[in-house]
Parts: sequence; C-alpha cells; structure tokens
Amino acid sequence: MVKVVLKGITKRFGDVVAAGNVNLEIKDGEFFTLLGPSGCGKTTTLRIIAGLEQPDEGRVYFGDRDVTDLPPYKRNTGMVFQNYALWPHMSVFDNIAYGLKVRKVPKEEIKERVQRVLDLVKLRGLERRFPSQLSGGQQQRVALARVLVVEPEVLLLDEPLSNLDAKLRIEMREEIKDLQRRLKITTIYVTHDQEEAMVISDRVAIQNKGVIHQVGDPGEVYNRPKDLFVATFIGRGTLLEGIVEREEEPARIRVGDLIFQGRFSSDHKKVKRGDKVACVLRPENFSLEKPKGPSNLFEGVVEWTAFVGPYTEVRVSVGGNKILIDVPPDVKVSVGERIRVYIPQEDTIILPLEESP
Amino acid sequence: MDLRGFLKRLRREFDLMTISQTVIASVVLLLFLIAPLALMVGQAFLYKGTPSLTWFLKILGNREFVSLTPRGGMLFKVHRGIMYLWGLDYGILMNTLIVALSVMILCSLIGVAVAVIMARYSFKGKEFFRVLLLIPLLATPFVNAYVIGKLFSPRRGLINFLLCDVLHILPWRIDIDGLVGIALAQTLAFYPIVYLNVYASLMNIDPSLEEQAENLGARGFRLFRTITLPLSLPGLAAGAIIVFIFSMEDLGAPIGFIGARANPLARKVVSYQIYSSFAEALTGGISPRTAALAVLMLFITVAGFIAIKRYVSLRSYAMLTRGGRWSPRVRKLPWRAQIVIYAFLLLLVVTASMPQIGTILLATTNWATSGVLPTRFTWEYLKALTTNPDVTRAIVNSLLYSGAAVTLMILVGASIAYVVARRDIPGRSLLDILATIPVAVPGIALAIGYFLFFSSYFRRTLLDPLIDPAPLLVFAYSVRRLPFTSRAIFAGLQQIDVSLEEASLNLGAGRPTTFFRIVLPLIAPNIIGGSILSFVYSMAEVSTSVTLGALREDRVPITFFISQIVYGVAAVGAVSIGAALCVLLMSVQIIAMVISNYVLKQRVAFLGV
Ligand SMILES: Nc1ncnc2c1ncn2[C@@H]1O[C@H](COP(=O)(O)OP(=O)(O)OP(=O)(O)O)[C@@H](O)[C@H]1O
Ligand SMILES: [Mg+2]
Repeated sequence: MVKVVLKGITKRFGDVVAAGNVNLEIKDGEFFTLLGPSGCGKTTTLRIIAGLEQPDEGRVYFGDRDVTDLPPYKRNTGMVFQNYALWPHMSVFDNIAYGLKVRKVPKEEIKERVQRVLDLVKLRGLERRFPSQLSGGQQQRVALARVLVVEPEVLLLDEPLSNLDAKLRIEMREEIKDLQRRLKITTIYVTHDQEEAMVISDRVAIQNKGVIHQVGDPGEVYNRPKDLFVATFIGRGTLLEGIVEREEEPARIRVGDLIFQGRFSSDHKKVKRGDKVACVLRPENFSLEKPKGPSNLFEGVVEWTAFVGPYTEVRVSVGGNKILIDVPPDVKVSVGERIRVYIPQEDTIILPLEESP
Repeated sequence: MDLRGFLKRLRREFDLMTISQTVIASVVLLLFLIAPLALMVGQAFLYKGTPSLTWFLKILGNREFVSLTPRGGMLFKVHRGIMYLWGLDYGILMNTLIVALSVMILCSLIGVAVAVIMARYSFKGKEFFRVLLLIPLLATPFVNAYVIGKLFSPRRGLINFLLCDVLHILPWRIDIDGLVGIALAQTLAFYPIVYLNVYASLMNIDPSLEEQAENLGARGFRLFRTITLPLSLPGLAAGAIIVFIFSMEDLGAPIGFIGARANPLARKVVSYQIYSSFAEALTGGISPRTAALAVLMLFITVAGFIAIKRYVSLRSYAMLTRGGRWSPRVRKLPWRAQIVIYAFLLLLVVTASMPQIGTILLATTNWATSGVLPTRFTWEYLKALTTNPDVTRAIVNSLLYSGAAVTLMILVGASIAYVVARRDIPGRSLLDILATIPVAVPGIALAIGYFLFFSSYFRRTLLDPLIDPAPLLVFAYSVRRLPFTSRAIFAGLQQIDVSLEEASLNLGAGRPTTFFRIVLPLIAPNIIGGSILSFVYSMAEVSTSVTLGALREDRVPITFFISQIVYGVAAVGAVSIGAALCVLLMSVQIIAMVISNYVLKQRVAFLGV
C-alpha cells in the first residue's frame, strides 16, 4: 500500500489549535493509532489526511506524492466516520457499491466485489436491507465494507467502535485488527480509549491540545512515558512531586521525608540536582514481597480498599503521601493495617515536571 | 488571515458547482429584488434631478398623511341606535401604523393564549381544535373583508341580527367598518401566525427548565411570567413582526371593505394609496411621491424585520440546552378550567372562521343578494369557474405563473440553501439575508419597483410590464415566496449530517455527483414540501397580482379578478363568483397541506423570522 507522512501540520479554528505542528510517519501496512482526550484534535488530523480539512500549514504525503492540495475525492483513502455516515436512502448493497459506481466499474464486477467484501465482514444476505434495519454492529461493518470495497491505499477509522456496547466493542476490535492484518492496509485509527489503542495498534501517537506528545509502540508508551501528560493519560498511577538529589542513574529523589531511587523515563540531561521532578508509580508494579533487583520500600497505613476482581485496589498513606497499589485478590488487607510494599527501581519512573512534547 | 491563504481557500470553495449556484442566485436576486428596489429608493430621493428629502418631507408634513388630531371618523359613537366603530383618521401614514400595531398586539394576545393552551394542557377534542385553529390561514383574499363587512352591516348584517334582534345582548346595533374593520379582518386572519410561532417555541423549551422553577416554588402565572414567557419570547417576537409587516402591506382588507361598504376611511391606509396611484402607471408613469411612500413603508418593515431577526438569533442561541429528546410538559385540567378553555376556543374558532364560512356561503348560495341569511342553494357560481371564459383564463394564468415561479424558486432556493448551509464563501450571510428578506418587502413596494425598473430599462423587451406583465409576475411570485422554499430546503440540509456528503467525497465522488446522488434524494421531501407551500401562496398572491397583473387584460391572475369583482366593478352577484374562486384557492391549499402533512410527513413550514 503506501506510507503516510505528515510534515509540520498545523490547523487552527479561531484560537483553538486542533493540530499543532504535527509530524508523523506512518509506515506502509502499519496499524497506527492516534490517542488523546476528547477535543485534542484527533478527528481534525484524520480529516486532514482524508483531505476533508485543509491544514493552515504543513504538507501531507502518501508515499512520495504530496497530496496536500488534492481534493478528498482524488486521494483514495477509505474513511469510516464515527457515526458511520451510511446513506439512509440506499440499501446496504447500494451503499457499498457507491464507490465502485463512481469509479465506473462494470456492473458484473461490482456485484462480485460487493459480495466478496460482504463475506469479508460477515454480512452476506443483508444486502437488501436499509441502514435503519441494521444493528449498531452491522452498521459499523457496512461502513467498513463500503470503504474496503474500493481498495483504498489508506484506511482511516474515526472512533469506529465508540457507538457500540462494551462486549461488541471487544469483538469488533479483534475483527478489525484481523482484517487489517490480512489486507495489510495502512491504517490510521482514532480513539480516546487507551486500552483499545494498546490492544489493537502497532504504534500509538499520544495527542493533546493538537500537539503530539509521544509516538511509540504500546509497551514503550506505557512503560516509558516521555512526559507527564502521557504518564497520567495512560494507565493508572500515583504521581509524587519531589526534588532531585542525584541526577546520575539510578537517580535519587526526595519526596518530603521519603527518599527513593528510580529511572529517568526520557532525556534526563536537562535535569539538575535540586530540580523539581515528578515520580510515576504504577499500582500493578508494587509487590508485598521484596523483588529480586534493586527496589524502593514504602511503609504505611491502609486507608481504603476496593475489590476490583483480578486484584484489590489499596490506598496506602505513606508519610502523608497517598499511594495506590494493587494486591492479589487472595491477600487480605484491612483498613488501618500497617503494610510494607516494594516497587522495583526499574519501574520507578521519573519525569521532568514541565510538560514538554 | 494572509492573502495567499485566503485566495487558496477561495479557490477550494469555489468549485464549478458552487460558482454556478452562487451566480444563478445572485443574478436572480440582483435583477428581481435589489435593482428594482434600489431604483425606487433612488427616485424617491430625487427632486427635480437633485438628491433631496423633499418627497419625504412633503409626505410627513402633510396633514393628509400625518395628523396629530383626528380628521374625521367615528369610534364608539352611538347615533340612532347604531354604535359606529370605524376608527379615527390620523392621516394615512399614522392610520397604517396604528392599525398594524393594534393588529400585532391583538394577534399576540390571542396567539400566546392559544399557544399556551395548545402546548401545555390536554383536553378532549384538542386535535379537533388544532385543525380548526388553522382555518384562518386559508386564503380568501378580499372576500374575507367583504364577508366581515357584510356580517357587521348595521341593517342587514347577520351578527347584528343575532345579537341585537334575536338575543337582545347588545343595546344597539354595531357598525364595524373602515380602519376598525380592516384591523378586525387582519387580526382574524393573522393570529395563527403568532400562535404557531409561539407554539413552536413552547414545544422547544426543555421541560426541566420549568420543572426546576416549580421545584423552587414558582407556579401558575408566576411560572409563566418568569420562565415560560421569557423563553418563548423569540417565537412571539418572530410572529409579531410578521403580523405587523403583513398588516402594513395588506391590500385585501382595504379593497374588500371598500367593496362591501364603500366607506372612505378604508382607503386611508398606505397600501391602498399606493395601489390607487398605480393607475397612473398606465398613463404617465409613477410619481416620485408614490415611490417615496412605498420607500417609507419598505424602511419600516425591513428595519423591524432585521431588528427582530437579530434579537431572535441572539436569543435562540442562548436557549440551546444540553440533553437529548424530551416530551414537552402537558397537563390535565380540572373540568371547570376545561370549560373556560372550551368557551374561549369555541368563540375564537367560530369568529375567526367567519370569513371562510361566509366565503363558502357566498359561493354556494344566493347570500350575496338575499339579505340577512341565504335562502337558496346554487351550483351556479362554482360552475362558472369552468364555463365563464374570463374566469377560466384567470385560473389557467394563475396556475401557469405559480408553476413557473415554483420551478424558479426551487432552482434559486436550493442553490442558496446549499451554499449557505455548506460552503464557506464570503457573501454567504448576505445571500442568506437576501433569501429571507422578501418576507419583509411589501408586495406593493416591489410592484412599484418592478414597474419603474423594467418599464424604463427593459423597454420593449419581454420584461416590459406594459408589453406583457406575465414574466414579471412569475419573477415577483418567485422572489416573494422564495423564503418558503429556501427555508424548507435549508431545514432539510441541516438535518443531514455533513458526514454523509463527506463519505461520498471520500469514496471518490466529486461535488456534483455527491449533490445529485446523496443530497438531493435526502432533501427531496423538503423540496417538495417547500414547493407545494410556495405554489399555494403564489396562487393567493395579492399585491403584485392586482397591480402588475392589471396591465394586460388577457394576463390577469385569479386574485386580480377577485379584487375587481369585490371592488364592485362587475354587476351584482359577481361577488359570488369571487367567492367561488376563493373556494378554489382554499381547496388547493387544503390539498397541499394534507399532502405535505400526511404524505411527506413534513410539518408545514410556517412563517417565521
Ligand atoms: N469546524 C470546526 N470549527 C471550529 N472548531 C472546530 C471545528 N472542528 C473542530 N474544532 C475544534 O478543534 C478541536 C479539535 O477537534 P477534533 O474534532 O479534532 O477533536 P477530537 O480529538 O476528535 O475530539 P473527540 O474525541 O471528542 O472526537 C476542538 O476543540 C474542536 O472544538
Ligand atoms: Mg473526534
């Protein structure tokens, strides 16, 4: 298929920056996800790629072709809209055949290709129905089939699962992933659901207020957040503010009376002794027994517990700081109890305080 | 924004389709709305070749037009057992404003009361009343005023006969005529406009707003005064200003009253004065004084319209509330209150339908000549619609004009609506205003403008009204009724998510393909609904029909024919033929309403700002 490159894309709506100097390179055949909170500019970025929105600055390339000035109907992208945008006056068949008719494909071939794509999305037999006679999941598949049938170079999916219930969402995201893997089509996927992004993507870009904060594979983004925004947006965790006592790794940080050692997540060259930093502690990284490698020890009083299912969430007060930890469901902890917990230094993430993309 | 970016954006927005749509709409509006009115305004400000306010000063300084003391007329004056309600003559311009304001206030009072009852209470037979309340919207131009004049005639009027001779409720007979007659006829005809606008406002109020106020202890009239009324003010303002404008430009009531009773006071309104001086057009052209009078009227109506439009758009923006659908608050009433409501609605419905009922009586009986009550049923007048060649010609003319006008309206209206709703081009809001402003342009002013413009700049062409007024009538109808079509289509476009079009563009279809394959099929019901409505209102158009339409005998439309009959030009009994024509108009209108309501499932787009 094709790789997609965004160079210095900026788009403003009045004072709102919907895309701020976005630079991205999406590889050929990659499943790439734009992840960010509501209103951060994900849809806008996607629409710029589709040509439905014109950037104020910057260029868009498909492979080596500069497509910035191409109108949407000449870009050969396949966009699935958040609300599916199925045409209510056309049957499923006509909806799917539309792109082929526009391309003047012969009638016989249209029939055949529509049937094939209907098989692909498991909708055979529903071609006579109208969109209003379909369930949410079926509508979603029609929307997908409608763009897949024209064999677009780039597949653009704008929160395609957000209108479905939780169970269907999980089913559909696996199907989408599966389809994409089989068709090897360059796919850009937009979502604000971080779990969805983690499960489905080859690589993820985290966007906030129009700006891309970090690009990387899911594990990287989760375990090595580049800045505070990414660290807090993705996953659960406790944030502690402290002062750097030693900047060489393993760095030493003082938070009130506590001192512990950790690892800088991003470029730490700029951080000096005495600087303020933030420390991110993921609850699932804590354990009740001392781990093998170097670790930090916290001792405190249990303030609150909540049974979640696979684990129990426990809030521990350590020297005035509240720390969230997960303990296995079979371990009993009760409020008021004193406990000691450990976290590997490896998983003690230290970040500069100011947000810098 | 920098110039290059701006030009780039322009080039993107102005694809071939947008260009053709913009050009079509601009040419029609420029030639058939702006230029004629501009020329008229220009002439009114010229005195002996130099710009001046002379004509306006002549009007405003003349006691015939503006007088601070009454120059005649009678109001609540009892003489020989008859109470005269004619109105006082404060000069033509003042009379017009007084009538328009009175009609506006009366319609607002009635309209709000009816709207609140219909929107907030449930009672038996509500659906029945819902239909009856709309009867006054059925067009019976001229004849409605004629009927009212006849009913209130002191000697042989049915009302006086009932209330005075039979029931002895009134100590004297009443004689309603002149300015009061005009105001009464207009109030009965126009109150549904306020009612429907306020009703729509009330139905759009998030019920939780009222519930919250109740929860905090407000109830009854206080709740209405502090929450309900302020929230429905935009609807009231929109309806009221339309009523004001319609009253000012109305020719039907003055001509009808003059036809019924020949009371000189009925002539003392601006619209009638302009109309009567249009006769000069045939011999010597229209005097700048007439133009100045039309310009005065135009300024008042347009200024009022724009002011209210601003207010309404500000207010309705602030009304936006979060949340999904809701069902409006409707409550049951104790039986005592129900009786009060029935009495009010019944009285209103009966009174307000008098013109329509009277019209039907005139058309099907010998009531025109028989005195208090009709004595004999007859098909004669309805038959005349097909047998009398003059009448059939007028019908055919009207059908042709309206048909042609609707075609043009769809083209222009759809173009404007699409550009305004979907394209981001400079001048977009100007187009939007131009598509709605015809509501505020008095037809009689437009007629004057057309005459001045086309008889001088298009002399001896197809558009010269002195050669053939038919093409101009078609354009006049198109422009005057354009707001119906363009609004209906605009409403349709607003209901279609833009993503439906974007999905088509994304799949490789260009703008024209997208427009014809996706947009048009989706807004077809709106287009048809809007056109049906425009067609009906074109058939019933009065102002340009009775002026421009008069210029050539074989080109006259229905309404001109009716006006001549009612005006008393034809022999006795002919008014019944006018009434028969009105029955025809009403039938067309009822069919149209039924089609758009039940077949297209469209709530008929009523007049609003
Ligand atoms: N056409 C527009 N006019 C004005 N502002 C816009 C327009 N489109 C988007 N915006 C603004 O740009 C910002 C980004 O919008 P965008 O739709 O790209 O966000 P998003 O990340 O897709 O959000 P969501 O997750 O809620 O869909 C928002 O603040 C939005 O209000
Ligand atoms: Mg979005």
